[in-house]
Amino acid sequence: MTAMSKPILQLKNVRKAFGTLAAVDDVNLSIGEGEFFTIVGPSGSGKTTLIRMLAGMEKPTSGDILLHDKRINDTPANERPTCMVFQSLALFPHRTVGQNIEFALKIRNVDPAVREKRARELMQQLHLPADYYSKNVTLCSGGERQRVALARALAFDPQILFFDEPLSAIDYKLRKTLEKELKDIHRETGKTFVYITHSLEEAMVMSDRIGVMRRGKLIQVGSPNEIYSTPRSRFVSEFMGDVNVIPVEANGAGSVRSQSLGASFKVPANSVEAKAQCLVVRPEFLRFLDTPAEAQNSLKGILYNEYALGSRIQYQVRVGEKVFLVEKLRQQPFKGKLDDEVLIGWDPENAILVADE
Amino acid sequence: MSDSNYSVRHILIGVWTAAVLMFVFLPSATILIASMTASRYFTFPITAFGFDWWSKTINSLEVRSLAYTSLSIAAVVTVIAVVLGFFGALAFARYDWRGRKLYQKFILLPIFFPQSVLGLALLLWFNALGFTLSWKTAVLAHLVWIAPVVTLVMAIQVYSFDPSLEEAATDLGASRWQTFREVTLPVLMPGIFSGSLFAFLLSWGNFPLSLFTTGADNTLPKYLYAKMVAGYTPGVPVLGTISTAAAAIVLFGGYVAMLLLTRNRKAAL
Repeated sequence: MTAMSKPILQLKNVRKAFGTLAAVDDVNLSIGEGEFFTIVGPSGSGKTTLIRMLAGMEKPTSGDILLHDKRINDTPANERPTCMVFQSLALFPHRTVGQNIEFALKIRNVDPAVREKRARELMQQLHLPADYYSKNVTLCSGGERQRVALARALAFDPQILFFDEPLSAIDYKLRKTLEKELKDIHRETGKTFVYITHSLEEAMVMSDRIGVMRRGKLIQVGSPNEIYSTPRSRFVSEFMGDVNVIPVEANGAGSVRSQSLGASFKVPANSVEAKAQCLVVRPEFLRFLDTPAEAQNSLKGILYNEYALGSRIQYQVRVGEKVFLVEKLRQQPFKGKLDDEVLIGWDPENAILVADE
Repeated sequence: MSDSNYSVRHILIGVWTAAVLMFVFLPSATILIASMTASRYFTFPITAFGFDWWSKTINSLEVRSLAYTSLSIAAVVTVIAVVLGFFGALAFARYDWRGRKLYQKFILLPIFFPQSVLGLALLLWFNALGFTLSWKTAVLAHLVWIAPVVTLVMAIQVYSFDPSLEEAATDLGASRWQTFREVTLPVLMPGIFSGSLFAFLLSWGNFPLSLFTTGADNTLPKYLYAKMVAGYTPGVPVLGTISTAAAAIVLFGGYVAMLLLTRNRKAAL
């Protein structure tokens, strides 16, 4: 999704302070109807506090939260048409799978037969075996519990579904499956999903847009592609995964200089600004060269180690004190051996200049 | 490790366990044996067995009144202690508030007071306040000691309670009351149950607090003591056996009820 739909949820200068510490600091954001929006940040960045305010479990110290243009700051959680999947899942341990899913409907005094029908529909949609209906929820596996928690939230029929890192305790393989399932559910239901995670990788897989949080502030919002290819700061680029960051300073038009490497690099002419900067080159954009003429920027180093990453192989190349990571596809030929002297290089359009923050 | 080593170790564990159980249960078993004498006096070993004292004791109106008083005190203490203990346990383990650390320390102190001193202190208070001593003042006295115990027993359960369960219920549209009824109360039910068992049994068997605070009303433990000191009959071990058996039945019944409760939860709707 590129063009943003009508906004369903808007945050205006939202701030939450605990004592003198601002857990969430002046956040402005607009989330579109039907969007899958992910807020990503390290622990302590304020993302959990932010989603708890959106769900109605915390009140903002200042600022406004608008749902369909109506201020909901003071609306308690049980009166908001939104629902949350908790990090601990918070399944009711004294209830069966069916009773858990039907909870919201029971609260609304829906007829038991109608409740059961709806619960069974959701169980089928989420690939839960039909005979789990009367199984105690504590006897379910981790993945099944995830599905029950999602079904319980969907049974509420919320306008927005919030997720507070529900997949963080799940092992890698199952997490990958559930991430895709969640995105499929998002398509099937067409609901607005707001997801919190500390894993940008997880965010990339599922989201229409991503907001990166750091120290209570939303420092960049954009599509996964924008966040990946044009990070605005060193923090965002490093959060994305392995990157090569070279501190540089301006060195005339279209050029920057690294003191530590004692070398100058070509960059796109319009990207140079005066303030302290970093040159970011992703490992997959660095390549091994036979001669310096094959790329506009090059460095000579020692091949120190290699790491197999499945379909790709990552190499550690040392240029003086500085460590560079170079990645290539497994099927691409390469004859370099450990401790060989190698030449690595990249072209200006494959590097990004970002603020050093 | 060889097989013979393994079996020797098992035999030793068995012997040790049996010895500990003997040490704990043999005295109570002796009471049962002492109750089955045909003789008028407290002698051991028993020369002639008989059940006369059993029928006399069971048919005694005085004993029935004693049991009724003990039961009334224990029942009222249980109800009040469970209510106090439940909210006390929430304050102890669930909510973060100023003064909580201090409360946690002070609420447990009465458990370690010598009970006879506590009974005496309460007697002085009841006199000063002009209360007529009866089984009702005994209820108050028992509560001073039992409410903290029940609070502690329940707090253990509350500590394992995930607060996000309540948040999830609220988030799914439940009001405060619905959240309490549908989630908080049933999830904490096992703790409430064991707390009430503790309350009942500690009150049923309590002697030192009752001694000072029941006034003209008499409880089973108090009667047993008085009879032992002056006017022994084999009715004393009979009553002792009945009192112990009643406690055991309550405990065992509670255990079975608990099993049924958890099984029902895990079974179909």
